[in-house]
Amino acid sequence: MAAPKTPGITEPFPEDEPFTRRDFLEMAGFSLAAGLLGAGCRRAPVIQALPFVVPAEGIAPGEAVWTTAVCGACTAGCGILVKNRDGRPVKLEGNPRHPVNRGGLCAAGQASLLGLFDERRLGAPVIRGATATWGEFDRQVREKLQGIVQRSGKVVVLTRTVTSPTLQSMLDRFRSLYPGTEHIAYDPLPVSAIPDAHLSTFGVRVLPRYRFERARAIAAFEADFLGTWLSPVQFAADYATGRDPDRSSPADMSWHLQVESRLSLTGAKADDRLALPPQGVELLLAHLAQDIAQRRGHLLPIAVPAPPVPSEEVKRIADLLWQHRGRSLCVAGINTFRIQVLINVLNFHLDAYGNTVDLSRPSRQHLGDDCALRRLAADLRQGRVDGLIVWGVNPVYDLPEGDELARIIADLPLSVDITPRLDETTQVATFVAAESHPLESWGDSEPLEGVFSVSQPAHPRFGDTRSAVEVFAAWCGDHPDGQRWVREYWHRHILSRLAGIKSTADFETTWRRILLDGFAETSPPAFPDLSLRVPELSFEDFRTPPSGPALVLHPTPAMLDGSLAYNPFLFELPDPVTKVTWDNTLQLSPTTANRLGVQDGDVVRLGKSGREVELPAAIVEGHPDDVAAAAIGFGRTESARFAHIGPRWLFARESTNSDGTVGVNLSPLVEWRGDHRCWTVESINLEPSGIRKPLARTQEYFDLQVRDRLLPKGAHSEPVVVATDLDTYRQQGLTGAPADRREGDDLWSEDHPSPGYRWALVVDLNLCTGCSACITACNLENNIPVVGRDEVYRNREMHWLRIDRYLSRRNDRLEFTFMPMMCQQCAHAPCETVCPVLATVHSEEGLNQQVYNRCVGTRYCANNCPYKVRRFNWFNYPYARTGRERLILNPDVTVRTRGVMEKCTFCVQRIMAGKARAKTEGRPVADGEIAPACVQSCPTRALTFGDWNNPESQVARLMNHPRRYYVLSELNVRPAVGYLAVVRNPQLEPGRNPATGESGGAKHV
Amino acid sequence: MNSRIVTVLLAVALGFELFLLAGRLSVFHYPGIHRDYEPDQPIRFSHRLHAGELGVSCQYCHYAAGRSRYAGLPPTGICMNCHRFVAAPWGAQVAENKRAEEEKRAPRQLKSDQIIKIYRSAAFPDSSQPRFPIEWVKVHNLPDFVWFDHRPHVSVGLTCQKCHGPVETMERVRQVADLNMGWCVNCHRDSNRSGVLGKPVHAPTDCATCHF
Repeated sequence: MAAPKTPGITEPFPEDEPFTRRDFLEMAGFSLAAGLLGAGCRRAPVIQALPFVVPAEGIAPGEAVWTTAVCGACTAGCGILVKNRDGRPVKLEGNPRHPVNRGGLCAAGQASLLGLFDERRLGAPVIRGATATWGEFDRQVREKLQGIVQRSGKVVVLTRTVTSPTLQSMLDRFRSLYPGTEHIAYDPLPVSAIPDAHLSTFGVRVLPRYRFERARAIAAFEADFLGTWLSPVQFAADYATGRDPDRSSPADMSWHLQVESRLSLTGAKADDRLALPPQGVELLLAHLAQDIAQRRGHLLPIAVPAPPVPSEEVKRIADLLWQHRGRSLCVAGINTFRIQVLINVLNFHLDAYGNTVDLSRPSRQHLGDDCALRRLAADLRQGRVDGLIVWGVNPVYDLPEGDELARIIADLPLSVDITPRLDETTQVATFVAAESHPLESWGDSEPLEGVFSVSQPAHPRFGDTRSAVEVFAAWCGDHPDGQRWVREYWHRHILSRLAGIKSTADFETTWRRILLDGFAETSPPAFPDLSLRVPELSFEDFRTPPSGPALVLHPTPAMLDGSLAYNPFLFELPDPVTKVTWDNTLQLSPTTANRLGVQDGDVVRLGKSGREVELPAAIVEGHPDDVAAAAIGFGRTESARFAHIGPRWLFARESTNSDGTVGVNLSPLVEWRGDHRCWTVESINLEPSGIRKPLARTQEYFDLQVRDRLLPKGAHSEPVVVATDLDTYRQQGLTGAPADRREGDDLWSEDHPSPGYRWALVVDLNLCTGCSACITACNLENNIPVVGRDEVYRNREMHWLRIDRYLSRRNDRLEFTFMPMMCQQCAHAPCETVCPVLATVHSEEGLNQQVYNRCVGTRYCANNCPYKVRRFNWFNYPYARTGRERLILNPDVTVRTRGVMEKCTFCVQRIMAGKARAKTEGRPVADGEIAPACVQSCPTRALTFGDWNNPESQVARLMNHPRRYYVLSELNVRPAVGYLAVVRNPQLEPGRNPATGESGGAKHV
Repeated sequence: MNSRIVTVLLAVALGFELFLLAGRLSVFHYPGIHRDYEPDQPIRFSHRLHAGELGVSCQYCHYAAGRSRYAGLPPTGICMNCHRFVAAPWGAQVAENKRAEEEKRAPRQLKSDQIIKIYRSAAFPDSSQPRFPIEWVKVHNLPDFVWFDHRPHVSVGLTCQKCHGPVETMERVRQVADLNMGWCVNCHRDSNRSGVLGKPVHAPTDCATCHF
C-alpha cells in the first residue's frame, strides 16, 4: 500500500484550499474568546454578610484585638500577645513588657498556635479507647481513686514542672483529699542536677536565674543557652545587651567561651570555642574549678586526670574568668551532679552569686526531680504504685525505659493521661482526659519567683475539653471552671503580695489591669547568704579512656522535647546548624566521617549495649573528632499524619519514614548517671549501614571561601560576611568592608524616587543567634505553605526568610556566622528588569513589589535574583488550606496559587495597616511603630525596621553606622537591607592550641 | 473532513455564541465587573428612607468605616436603637390611630412585616428565643487578592457616595461603580492632581497599595 501524502511534511501546504489552517485557528480562537466573554458575564456567586446581633463593645469587624496570655510551648513561661481577628487568633507575639521574654518569642512558641486549630486534637475524654462524657469519666476515675485510698494504695501524679500556682494549689488540694498521693515532676529536657547540686552545696534546692546581661565573661560548657537550654528567649535577650561593641568602654562587650562536644547554635556565636569530646569538656571544667578555688585559697578534694588542653590554656581561661570576677558566669548543660557541683564551685569563687547568678528571684521554669523520677520507675517495676496520673509529659516517649514503663502502665489499676492529643503514653493509659489548648482556657504561671503571669482564653473551646486545673478540680468534687479557680487563687494569694494593693475592694480594677498587662510582679525578697560546702567528687572513671566514640544527644530549637510533633511548621524549620529539615541526623566531624567512609546522607548504624538505631550522617565542620551528635525530640508516632503533607503528584515521596515517624527517637539511648538523666553516651559503636537517605536540607555548602576557579574571569567578589575582632575594631574601625557601590555597570541610570517613606531594614549580624524565630514568625504571618520533605529535597522550600549559616577561617580559627537573608528590596532590582508582565515593580516607598495576580510564572525573576530569595509555587500546597487548620491563615495576606512567584515584602500588610492607622490619626508613621513579623519576633532585637528617609529614625542611624555594609554590594543593586558586621571578642590565642586531630584532643575552632 | 462542513459548524457555533451574548448585551460588562448588581435582600430595607428622608448618617450604622478595613454592617442591636420604638411606618400608625378613634376602639400597635424580621433576629421582646444574625447579601465585592481599607478614604474626607453612588436615593442598594482596578487608579490619579475637598492628598498608585 502506498504511503498517503501528508501535507506539510512531505509536501508544502496547499495554498489554494478554500479553508486554510490559519482560518481554522482564527475561527477557533474567536469562538473561544466569545465563549469566555459569554461565561464571564455570569454573576459571581452570592456572598452573604452576617453582622453581629448585639454589637461587641470595642470590636469592629476587620480590626485586630490583642489579648495577653502565656506561651504553652514549654515551661519557660514567656508572656505573649494574641492577635485576634474577628474572633480567631491568627498570630502570637512576645509581650514586649513581659520580664521573661521582653517581646521575643521562639520558633516553637510561634508555631504552637497551630495546636489550637489541630483537627486531630481530642474533643472529648476517652475511656478504654471509647469516647465518654466528663460526668462518666469523673465518676469512674473518682471511684478508682477512692478504692485505692481505701486500701491505702499509692497514686502518683506525674507532671512536667508545674509553673502555674493555681494548678499547684489544686494539686495540693487533690493530694490532701486522696491521701497517699505523691506528686512527681520531671522535665523532658532534664536539668534537675542544677537544683540538686545547689541543695548539696548551699542547702537550698533552687534553680538560679542566670543573668547574662550582667556577665562580662561567660563560660558555657555544653549549655545551648541561646537555643534550647532552660529559657532561651530570655537568655538571648539578656546576652544581646552585653554584645554591643560600640559601647564607650571595650570592657562592656562580654567575652563568651563555649566548650562543647558538638557544634551548637550557641557555640557558633561564641568568641572562643573549644570542641572537645565529652570527657574533655568535663575534665577542663574540673581543672578550671580547681584553679579558681586555689586562687581563693581552697583546695578542691578532687583527683582529676590531666586536662585535655595545654595547662597554659586552662590558666588563661581561669585568668579571664578571675579577672572579671563578680561579672563572670559559668553554666553547664550537662545534667550530672558532679558537673553542676563544679559549676557552683566556680560561680561561688568567682563571686557570681548575687551578681550574675541570681537567687533572689530564682527560676521556677524547670524544677523537675530526676531522683524522684528514678524512684518512681523502681516503684512501678516493683508494683508499689496503684495509680498513675500523667499530665504535660509523655513518659513512654521521654524516658529511656519508656518501653518497659508502657507495659507496666498498661497493667496498672488506674492510669490516666491528661493530654490534648493521642501520644505514646495515651496508647497504654485507660483514661485519657482531653486537655484544652492554653489559648482556650484560663491559666497562670510563675516563671520566676515573684513574677506572675495570667493567661486568658483567646478562643472558645473547639471540643468538650478541660484544662488541667479543671480536671483536678472535678476530681476534688469542685466545679470545673478554670476562670473561677485562677481568679480565686489570685484574689486570695497573689494580689495581697503585689505592691500597691491594699484591700480586696479594688480586686476587679486590679484584675483588669493585670489582664491588660499580662503579668504582675512582687518586690523581690532579700538575697540569701550562702556558704559553700563541696561534696566529694571523683573523676577516677576518666583514667580509663573510652573504648569508642561518644554520642552527645541534644534538643533542637524547633522540636525541643518532641511534644510539638503535631506541628509541620517545626519539622520544616531547618536545623540552625545542619540546615536539615524533616529529620534528625548524626553529626560527625569530617575526619570521623572520612574514617567511617560515610558522606552526607549515608545511614550510620549506631549501637550501644544491644540497642541499635540508624541515622543519616551530616558532616559538620567544627564538630569534634570521635564524637557523634544527634537530636532528640524526633521519631514521635504523632507525625504519621504528615506522610502526604506535600503536593500529590506522580513523583511525590512521603515526608515520613515507613513507620510514620519523622526522624528517629533517641530517648532510649539516654543514660542515667547516678540519679540524673544524661545526654552523653560513652563508647558507642558506629558503622556505616550501606544505605543512603539523602537529606532534605536548605543549605548544603557552608564555606564562605569562593575558589578562584569558580569565579568568572575578571569577576570580583566582595566578602559576604564581614567580621572583625573587637581590638581591631576599636583601633581601626571596620576594615575589609566592601564599598557600598562599584563604579560603572549600573542597571539603571536613575534611582526610583521615594518622596515619602522609604522602608529599610538593618540586620545586626553580631546579635543574630540563628534561633530561627523569625522564620517561623514569617511563615505564620505570610501564609507560607508547608511543602513536605520531598519538596524541600528538591530545593522547593517556600520560606521567604532563611538563615544562612556560614563558616570562615581566620587566623587558624573557624568562625561561624548566621545571616538572615530575605528579599533585599533592591533599588536597582535585577528581578524587575526581566519580568515580561511587570508583575514585580518598584514602589515609591522603596519596596520591590510582587503582584501575585499579575504573575504568569515565567520564573525569570528568580533566576536573575542574586540573593536567591524568590520562591515559586510549583503546586497548590494542600496543608492548612482546608479543614480546621486553615483558620491559622492570616486574613490580610493573599493565599498564593500554583504558578505564582512570591517573596518577602517587608510584611507590606503591616506597613499598610500602620500607615492607615497613622493617617486616621492625622500624623506621620512614628519610628518603630511598624514592625514586620521577623523584626517583632527577634529575641535579641537583631533586626531594625523603619523609614530610611527620616534621618531621626533608628534604621537611618544604623544605615550610617560604621559597621553597616551591603551583601553583594559589588553588583550595584542598591539593597534596602543593611547588615552590621560581626565583631568578635576572642581572647584565647589559637596558636597555642595545636589541633591534635584524631586523638580526640583539643581542637581550637 | 470536508472544509465546508467545518466552516458551517464554526459558523453555527459562532452564531450560537452571538445569540447567547445578545441576550446580555443590554447589561453588558467585561468579565468580573458587577456594576448594577442589585441583589434581593432578606429585609426590604430602604436606604432612601433612612439615609435620604430621615437623614441618618452613614457611619451611624456602618460605624467601623472610620476605624477598620471594613465599614461593616450594623448589628441588629443598632437597628433596635430606634426600632425598639418604631414598629411600623409613621403614616400607617397615625392612620390606624385615627381609624381606631373613629371606630371608638383602642388603636392596634402595627408591626411592619419587615420590622418583625428585625425583632425575630434580636429575639425581641421575648428574649428567651434564640437570636440569629440577618443574612444580608453583600453588594460591593472585591476579589480576594485586593486589599481595600476604608480608613484612609474616610479620614481624608471622601463622601461615601463617591464610590457607593447616591445610596440615599436607592430603595435597594445597587452597585454603581465598576470597582475594577482602572476605576480605582483613575480616581487615585485624579486625586493626586486635583486634591480632595481642595486639599492636596497623596493617593498611592503602587501595586502594593492593594495587592499583597
